[in-house]
Amino acid sequence: MRSGGEVQVVDLIKRFGPVVAVHGINLHMPGGEFFSMLGPSGCGKTTTLRMIAGFEQPSGGKILLDGEDMTGTPPHKRHVNTVFQNYALFPHLNVYDNVAFGLRRQRAARGDVHRRVGEALELVQLTGFEKRKPAQLSGGQQQRVALARALVLKPAVLLLDEPLGALDAKLRKQLQIELKALQQQVGITFIYVTHDQEEALTMSDRIAVMSNGRVEQVASPRQVYEEPSTVFVADFLGVSNLMQVTARGADSQGRCRIRLDSFELQAARGDTAVSGETKATIRPERVRLEPQSASGENRLPGMVERWVYLGNAVQLIVRLATGQAIQVLIQNTGDEIPFAQGTPVQVHLPADALRVLTDTGAPSPRANGSEAVPSR
Amino acid sequence: MTAASASLALPANRSALRRARDWAANPWARPRFLVLVTWVYIVWSIAPVIIAIQFSFNAGRSLTAWQGFSLTRWYFDDPENSVWNDPALQGALIQSLKLAALDMLIATPLGVLLALGLARWRGYAAEAGNLLMLFPLVTPEIVMGVSLSLVFAYLFDFIEPSTTAQVLGHVTFSLSYVVVIVRGRLFSIGRQYEEAAADLGATPWETLWLVLLPLLLPAVLSSMMIVFAISIDDFVISQWLSCGADCDTIPIRIYSATRAAPLPSINALAAIMVYFTIAALVLSYFLFRFLTRGERAAGKAGRSVVQDMGGFDM
Repeated sequence: MRSGGEVQVVDLIKRFGPVVAVHGINLHMPGGEFFSMLGPSGCGKTTTLRMIAGFEQPSGGKILLDGEDMTGTPPHKRHVNTVFQNYALFPHLNVYDNVAFGLRRQRAARGDVHRRVGEALELVQLTGFEKRKPAQLSGGQQQRVALARALVLKPAVLLLDEPLGALDAKLRKQLQIELKALQQQVGITFIYVTHDQEEALTMSDRIAVMSNGRVEQVASPRQVYEEPSTVFVADFLGVSNLMQVTARGADSQGRCRIRLDSFELQAARGDTAVSGETKATIRPERVRLEPQSASGENRLPGMVERWVYLGNAVQLIVRLATGQAIQVLIQNTGDEIPFAQGTPVQVHLPADALRVLTDTGAPSPRANGSEAVPSR
Repeated sequence: MTAASASLALPANRSALRRARDWAANPWARPRFLVLVTWVYIVWSIAPVIIAIQFSFNAGRSLTAWQGFSLTRWYFDDPENSVWNDPALQGALIQSLKLAALDMLIATPLGVLLALGLARWRGYAAEAGNLLMLFPLVTPEIVMGVSLSLVFAYLFDFIEPSTTAQVLGHVTFSLSYVVVIVRGRLFSIGRQYEEAAADLGATPWETLWLVLLPLLLPAVLSSMMIVFAISIDDFVISQWLSCGADCDTIPIRIYSATRAAPLPSINALAAIMVYFTIAALVLSYFLFRFLTRGERAAGKAGRSVVQDMGGFDM
């Protein structure tokens, strides 16, 4: 087992003709980490992964593995292995030969090959499938063979390009847990690319949220979800309930005074010292709905517009007195939820959960005045 | 499904003409017209071949009047004129098979390598290369034949019109067919297996030998067949590069015999050509099925030949 598995990406740029797919990003993945790159289609995550694997040549920048520059090394000489989105199992070889392929390229001894293939198949729980051809396997089994084929070579880093995309929801959830357990068992670095935020949140030690070839935020799942640093990150992970507000700096308790339409609110999270036009966000599960008669700070009137039953929770669309609609999520505890469709309610946005966000540089148009420094 | 279907159903009192038009124009019905046209085309194309083969079994000497059935008169029996006994016909048969075999064995590997090169080459030179490769496909055969004979007369004059020249001529125009077929298959395979092999540590040569070529097998087999069929069928180029009677192929022999006094032995010669082509088809199909026997998922054993061969993905 190689030590380390630390990957560093320095000022990495990739251009396809006039289109810039990756805008000079910097990432550092310490050894043994489950690191995810999350973002919508076209954000550059797969291109970055392919550059780390060696299938694309960067237009600029460096890629370092354990301190060694491998930007110019061809893919067959790099100590990283990839699990592809559609597995790319060799259809003319059986499972045993597929898994043994890399070992045979290394000229390993026959007995060694046999032993290690057996271990790899045991690791992914596919002992006994050696003679089958990929066409005779189910999707989940094919994915496991692809995993075994990559892991048998004991790489320092394993790259996974949306490997669960082709599977049904139940199998995907099961394999997410298995993949995470596998990573912890084997102990190597996993670099995982996905557009599914639930996958990234469930499995990763750290997530890099990407958009339009740039990294928006790199943080743990908890931080990325509860402390998004940009509008994009807040919106991409779950529901953001973005509100356009006017901020007036921090008060004596360090909370930001913001004005939403005609309502004065306090926000305790995010960039509380900012002032000017900016955005505030709150997660739907943190919003508290109270009867119309309730009063207190951070409360404003609203009306329940729609009910969506999700099984384990209920999603309510509430129209605030300001005219804006926000989503509220109430867990299904078995108790009756007293806010039927059409009921007027008092919406409590706890200061603790209300977060002031500053925009990123690119796409969203700014209202005049806000010149706050984006927090990273 | 009553009220809904009632509102969607066509009124029953349409005229007979209207109903007939609707029946014919329904895109979801079985494609009767298409099937009919296809069958007409097939019958029209194959009927002359069947008739020609039929007359190779003619008991008498006529090519047009059926004089009874004789299985082997024109193949073996007739002491002077059957294919087995007439040295000219035998020579033509052997020459055709020789050219076809050599063409197959030379053009296929070269064409596969050319296809791989063209598929991976980037840049303007690649576009030019592609265009050049397509030329034999679009050039009229007579132009090819004349220019090839000029090349061997003035440029490479150390090569006389001979079997060698014929083989070179055949390989020249067969290459394009191989490239087009193999390239189609390469595109449908995609780069994923090459990337996977490289990722696992295979050098480019190992990738080619262990991964690409086995996956290209259907295209290689079908292009071998195509080359065989084209070569056996070729008339113009073989004639222009022919050294005389010794280099005559079957089509040349048939052509010259037809102008003189043709016997059903000519039909027998042509029929042998057809048998060989069918045999090559059948052989390569079963060979392909055997070589890829593990790759079909259970229950999909009955895929069609064209699908399996993966050829004609032009």
